[in-house]
Amino acid sequence: MFTSLQLGAVNHTPFLFFTGKGGVGKTSTASATAIALADEGNRVLIVSTDPASNLQDVLETELTNQPKQVPGIPTLSACNLDPEEAAASYREKVIGPYRGKLPESVVSNMEEQLSGACSVEIAAFDEFTSLLADPAIVDEFDHIVFDTAPTGHTLRLLQLPTAWMGFLEESTHGASCLGPLSGLGDKKDLYSSTVNVLSDKEKTTLVLVARPDSSALMEADRASTELKDIGIKNQILIVNGLMGKHQWDDSIASAFYSRQQEALRSMPVALKEIQTYSLPYVAYTLTGTISLRQLLSHVEVNPNAVTVYDDESIEIPGLKKVIDDFSKNNTRVIFTMGKGGVGKTTIASAIAVGLVERGHKVHLTTTDPAAHLTHIFQEERGKDDLRISRIDPKETVESYKKSVLSKAAEGLDEEGMAYLEEDLNSPCTEEIAIFQSFAEIVGKADEEIVVIDTAPTGHTLLLLDATESYTKEVPRSKGEVEDYVKNLLPRLRNSNETSVVIVTLPEATPVLEAKRLQEDLHRAEIHPKWWVINQSLSVTNTTDPVLRGRAVSEREWIQKVYNDYANKTALIPWMSEEKIGYKKLMDFSK
Amino acid sequence: MAKVEIFDPAMCCSTGICGPSINPELTRVANAVYSLEKQGFDIRRYNLANDPGAFADHEVINRILHDEGPDALPVTLVDGKQAAVGKYPSNEEFSKWFEVPAEELNEKRKVRLTLDINKK
Repeated sequence: MFTSLQLGAVNHTPFLFFTGKGGVGKTSTASATAIALADEGNRVLIVSTDPASNLQDVLETELTNQPKQVPGIPTLSACNLDPEEAAASYREKVIGPYRGKLPESVVSNMEEQLSGACSVEIAAFDEFTSLLADPAIVDEFDHIVFDTAPTGHTLRLLQLPTAWMGFLEESTHGASCLGPLSGLGDKKDLYSSTVNVLSDKEKTTLVLVARPDSSALMEADRASTELKDIGIKNQILIVNGLMGKHQWDDSIASAFYSRQQEALRSMPVALKEIQTYSLPYVAYTLTGTISLRQLLSHVEVNPNAVTVYDDESIEIPGLKKVIDDFSKNNTRVIFTMGKGGVGKTTIASAIAVGLVERGHKVHLTTTDPAAHLTHIFQEERGKDDLRISRIDPKETVESYKKSVLSKAAEGLDEEGMAYLEEDLNSPCTEEIAIFQSFAEIVGKADEEIVVIDTAPTGHTLLLLDATESYTKEVPRSKGEVEDYVKNLLPRLRNSNETSVVIVTLPEATPVLEAKRLQEDLHRAEIHPKWWVINQSLSVTNTTDPVLRGRAVSEREWIQKVYNDYANKTALIPWMSEEKIGYKKLMDFSK
Repeated sequence: MAKVEIFDPAMCCSTGICGPSINPELTRVANAVYSLEKQGFDIRRYNLANDPGAFADHEVINRILHDEGPDALPVTLVDGKQAAVGKYPSNEEFSKWFEVPAEELNEKRKVRLTLDINKK
């Protein structure tokens, strides 16, 4: 039904952005495109802007924030635009010259201040704009391919040039809340050329990547609309992992196929107007340059080459054990974390419903701007003991502004209020507002179990970093600090109160990303208890050659999780229907 | 005319809205400084987080930081002389230095009425 993706058919602008929901294959399609362009003799740079980048896993080479040539492909370079690293080098640039000139205690005080969420965001953003607008970098390459973080984060990154531009233009008092980049005013030209580049169809193509499933398509639609609004109109859509020929009498394979076709039939209308290409569902793992080249050259895999599924199995419990464990130990705060697209929201919902069924009062919430709790529960909300909410960035910022202004209203005249209000329009405010409402929700865990479905890894890491840096600021803060802010980090670190469930698929990238996430959490003194391996084909009885190929390659990753990474493991089979509504979730959690 | 310089501790924004809590003191000072600036007085603020040069190059401030560390901030200088250390000046102090009525710095003014017939 769609044109199969042939690179020649796509207009090659100097900048190509790949975006979409987590787990749709942004990194592999972006890498395959970059390799194909490089194979044609173009000088290509591929950049990941995801704080939890998988680019190194897919290209199978270590990366830093400096472009580096990819082994075996002379005209292809790659780098990871890691916000923490960008912030570190920015910090050094600001502070470096004053080491020795100012006392050590003062220097470390500055360092702390420049480690806040806002600095991190701006530093990453700053590197990003220079990739688009700095001639020193842009002239070195024919194409720069951006592999971006899951949608929510990307939208923000792409909207920031516009947001800061607006803020700088409207500011009447010399823009005081520019946070760590006070010299930002000088960069106005850089930002306006970034905005121009993004909206010039001769220069920028936005590649929306989706799987043929309803939530990924909804997400692509949302991104498409929001990015059109800020002027990024040159868009194409890639439907990745489309199942074609399969074994018709295999129940799993036909369910797989009809779920995809059903999702495509009910695809959002606006998306249907975008030029769409498809990439096939393949039996092999999309890592390494060889398989990435295969993807775009449409090599059919010989089904006979797939190893036959052997029968030795490890006994791994299902989701019920996980929920029983939380119920019995009276865990108060439960997080689901992991790469985008692994099913965090469904698992979090099933855990919440399972706990309600075991007699607990539960508050289920999400910090993922792209999550669809309403989609999962529809109208079927179930019992009164289950409360459902979401931390919506826009609403959160609005209510934060209101509460600040009402507290400050006393003693301020009209102009003073306007002045403060202007500061509150700084894009920085979003970070603190989200942090505040996150802290508030966790603060209520004494009365109800709080189940938090988090945004994909990168975003979650930034939120936890913010938690740490704000916690350091608390003792110095002269304002009134709410108890829930003070108690947040100690509570998250207390394993009697808080549990983290890492959700993954039995595949290379989600497992490797989850492993790095776990290491980061360990550093923050948070220790995940459960790993849930979701959507496993190897515990189904499929005989379809492509699905079986996948099932065979799953084993390595299931074993790695079970033997090396997880404290406790649960395994969930691939299911032929989406778990939508309270009742189905209840059955799922039994 | 007096020249007033305020050296702030390292912080994100001088209104203090970016921290884990809102400090009303910061809001008051930001507002007072803004209003004095607008009246054409010579008053400046430096933030350690984004203007460390102003601290390192200033003899008096650099000495205070070496002697007392970052907790001595904020420091206010009037005509180059130490006027407040470890806390912000009060509105009364501002009004004394610049010879303006203190009320002008903190009294609520009448709310401006706007009428926009194009908006619903």
